[in-house]
Amino acid sequence: MTQPLPDNVVQVSGLSKKFPNGPLALDHVSLTVPKGQLLSLIGLSGSGKSTLLRHLNGLIPPTTGSVEVLGTDVVAAGRRELRALRRDVGFVFQSFGLVGRLTALENVLSGALGRLHGPRFGTLMYPKALRREALENLDRVGLGDRAFQRADTLSGGQQQRVAIARTLMQRPRLLLADEPVASLDPESSAQVMDVLFRIVVEDQLTVICTLHQVELALGWAQRIVGLRDGQVVLDRAVDNLDQDAVMDVYRRVEPGQSAMSGALMASTTTPRVA
Amino acid sequence: MKPPEVLLKSSGLGSRIPSDPVHADDRLKRKLTGDRLVMRVVMVVFVGAVIWAWRHIEMSFSGLIAGFGDVQNLLGRMLPPRFSDLDDAIRLGFETLWMAVIGTTIAVILSFPIALGAARNTTPHPAVMAICRGIIVLSRAVPDLIFAAIFVRAIGIGVLPGVIALGLHSIGMVGKLFADAIEQTDKTPREAVTSVGASKWQAITTSVIPQAMPSFISTILYRLDINLRSSSVLGIVGAGGIGFLMQANLRSLQYDEALGVVAVIFVLITIMEFFSAAVRATLLGGDRTLVGRSAPRLSLGAKLFARFSSRSKSNDVGVRPFNHETVRPPWVGDLRMKTIYGMAFVALIIIAFRSVSLNPGELFGALPDVWRVITRLFPPDYTTARSSIIDGMIESVAAALVATFMGALLSVPLGFMAARNVAFNRFVYGLSRLFLVLVRGIPELIIAVIFIAAIGLGPVPGTLALAFGTSGFLAKLIADAVEEINPTPREATFAVGATKTQEIATSVVPQAMPAIISNLLYALDINLRTSTILGIVGGGGIGFILFNALRVLELQTVGAVLITIFGVVYSIELLSGWVRKKIL
Repeated sequence: MTQPLPDNVVQVSGLSKKFPNGPLALDHVSLTVPKGQLLSLIGLSGSGKSTLLRHLNGLIPPTTGSVEVLGTDVVAAGRRELRALRRDVGFVFQSFGLVGRLTALENVLSGALGRLHGPRFGTLMYPKALRREALENLDRVGLGDRAFQRADTLSGGQQQRVAIARTLMQRPRLLLADEPVASLDPESSAQVMDVLFRIVVEDQLTVICTLHQVELALGWAQRIVGLRDGQVVLDRAVDNLDQDAVMDVYRRVEPGQSAMSGALMASTTTPRVA
Repeated sequence: MKPPEVLLKSSGLGSRIPSDPVHADDRLKRKLTGDRLVMRVVMVVFVGAVIWAWRHIEMSFSGLIAGFGDVQNLLGRMLPPRFSDLDDAIRLGFETLWMAVIGTTIAVILSFPIALGAARNTTPHPAVMAICRGIIVLSRAVPDLIFAAIFVRAIGIGVLPGVIALGLHSIGMVGKLFADAIEQTDKTPREAVTSVGASKWQAITTSVIPQAMPSFISTILYRLDINLRSSSVLGIVGAGGIGFLMQANLRSLQYDEALGVVAVIFVLITIMEFFSAAVRATLLGGDRTLVGRSAPRLSLGAKLFARFSSRSKSNDVGVRPFNHETVRPPWVGDLRMKTIYGMAFVALIIIAFRSVSLNPGELFGALPDVWRVITRLFPPDYTTARSSIIDGMIESVAAALVATFMGALLSVPLGFMAARNVAFNRFVYGLSRLFLVLVRGIPELIIAVIFIAAIGLGPVPGTLALAFGTSGFLAKLIADAVEEINPTPREATFAVGATKTQEIATSVVPQAMPAIISNLLYALDINLRTSTILGIVGGGGIGFILFNALRVLELQTVGAVLITIFGVVYSIELLSGWVRKKIL
C-alpha cells in the first residue's frame, strides 16, 4: 500500500479467452484505465464483461494476451503475488457472495483475510481492531445496527451493501463490480449505487463496473466501454456519447428487437437519469 | 464530465460517521438470544456426554493403539484370503441377495396401506393415522437382527425368519418415506379431480399416487440396498444368508477363509450399490433430491443405463404418431423403459422366491407362529433382569456416543477430502472416495465380528467397529453436502486474497455446517440402533441380555428389553429431531 500507484491502474492488451467447448469469450481486448477513472463496461449477457473483470484479479487465466493490474503482471504472477494483488482489488459480485448462515459482521470481516495468516472460524478469532473496523465499514453502508443479523435474513439491497462493506475491509485501490444491482429492485439499486458512488468518490478509487442498465451507466461513469461478442466495440468518454453509439453495442448479430427494447426498459426503471 | 457532487444526493448512507470508540465495544458484543443459548447448552451436554461415555466403556488411547495392533495381527493371519468353498460362498451370496429382494417386497406391500393411513392428506381417520404412525415408529426402533433372532426362535432356523424380519423392520423407513412423499404432493390436481365428481379413493389413485411415484421408486431401491447389507449379517443369528458362513469360519479359526467370505460380501454389496444408484439415476432422471445422495454422477453405470432412458425429444411419447382408432399410448421412450424395468423387477421377485425355495404361502403360514411369539413378549417382565437391562442399555448408549464422536473426528476431514470441489487435488479426491467405497462395502456388524475376534469381547471392539463404519457413511454424506454448497461466496472469498485454508474455514465450513450437524445426529440415531445388537456378537451392550433371554426362551424378559430399547431409541430420535429443527 505504500508504493506509489502507477498512472495506469489497468493495462490489458491483446487479451483473448476461449473456454473449453465454448466460443471465444474475449477476442483481442485491449484496455487502459488511468488512476481514478470511473469506467463502466456495458454489453449484452454473454458479451464477455464478467469474463474480462475476472481476468483483472486473476480469477480466470487468459488464453493469450497480457494483463497488468496495479503494476502486477497478472498472467505471470505466482500464487503469492496473486493473493497480494487480490488484497488490493475489491470485487463486488452480482449475487453478493455472502455466506448466508454467518452474520453480516462476520461476512465483512472475511474481507480482511488477505491481511491475515491462517484460517478463521468465527467472529472472535479476528482481532478486536479488525472487528471495530468492520463495524465502521458496516456503518458506512448504513447497516451498523444489523451487524449480528444473519446475512440471509437481510434484503437483497442490504446484502449487497454488506458485500460492499466487505470490500472496504480490503482498503482497495481498484474496485471491480460485476453487475452489482442486476438482481435488485429499482429502489434498492438506487440505494446500492448511491452508497457505492459515495465511497468511490470519498476514497478516490478507480472503478470498473459492468452494468446492463445503460442509463445507469451514463449517469454514473466517466467512460463507457462496450463489448459485443468478446470484442470492444465502443470506448468513449461519457460527455461526447450519443444514444445511437450506445445502442449499437446492444445490436444482436441476428436482427431482433428484444435486446434493445430490454435495455431501454431497464433504463426507464433507474432513477439516476442525467 | 458531470461533477460527482451533483449525483451525491443525501440519502444519509455512505457518509463517514465518526464512530464513538466507547460505544463501539458495546455494539461489538453479540446478544445471547434464546436459540443461541439453547445451542450452546446442547453442545456442552453433547461433549459432556461423550466424555462420560468414553470413561464408561473404558475406552483409552493406549487401548486404541493396542487394539489396532491386535487388528493388524489378525489381518496378518487373514491374508491372503482363501476361497476353498467359493461355490458355497457364492450360493449363499445369492441367497442373501434373494432374501433382500423378498424382504423389500414384503416391506413395500405392507408399507403401502400403512403409508396411506399415516399420511395426513389420505388417512381415513385420525385414529387410523395414529395407529399407522405407531407401527412405523415401532418397527423402525427395533433392529432387524433382533426381529430375526426372535423369529428364529418362533419358526426355526432358515430363510423364512430372515425375510420376515427384513420386511417388518423395513416398514419403519419405507412407510415413513412413502407417507412423507404422499404428504408432499401438490394438492391442486386432487382438488381438480374431486371437483369433477371423483370419490376420495379415485382422487387419491389418479392424482396423489402418480405424483408420489418417483419418490416411491427411489425409496424402494434405496431400501433394497440397505436390506442387502442387513441380510448379509442375518446368518449370524441363523436367519439365512452368507453371514452364517463367515461366523462358522471365524469360530473354527479359519481366518483366511473368513476373509474370503468377507470379500464375497463386499463384492455383492458394492455391485448392488452401483446398480441401484444407476437404476435410480435412469428412472428418475436428473432429479438429485429423488435420486438420492448416493447417486453417482458421471458414473459408468449412469452412462450404461442412459442408453435405455433415452429422454431425447425424438423419443418423447407426446410427439409420436399413435393409432387414432385404439387411442393407445405409443410404445416408445419412457413408457417402454418403465415397462421393461417393471417386468424385470417382477421377474426378479419370482426368481428370488424360487431360488430360496420359498412358497409365498409359507409366509402367511408363518404368521400365526410370529404372532404367538409376539404375544408371549407381553406383559414385559423386568423382575428377573432389571439391573442388567439398565446397565446394558446405558452401555449401548455410551458405545453409540463414543462411536459417533470418533466417527465424526475421522469423517469430517475425510468428507472434505472426498468432496470434488474442495479436495486438494485429484489424487487425494480419488483416494478418499476409494477408501469410502471400501469401508461402505462391509457391513458394520461384520467389522464388529472381526474386531471382536482380534481384540476380544467387550464394548471397546464393538465401539471401534461402529466408529469405523460411521466414518464411512458419514464422510460420504458430508462429502456430498460439501459438493453442493453455493460457489459464489467461495469466489468472493478468494477475491479478497484469501488462501485456500482461509477460504475453506470462512466460506465452506459455515455453509456445510447444518448438513454436518444434521448428518451427525442421523449417525447417532443409527449407531444407537446398531449398538443395541452389538451384544449379539459379543460387542457389549443390551444385545447380550436380549440374546441370552432368547436362548432360554424367557420371552417376557425379551419384551422388557425391547421396550427399553424402543423407549431410549425413540426419545433420542425425538431429541435429535428437535436439535436438527433448531439448527436449520
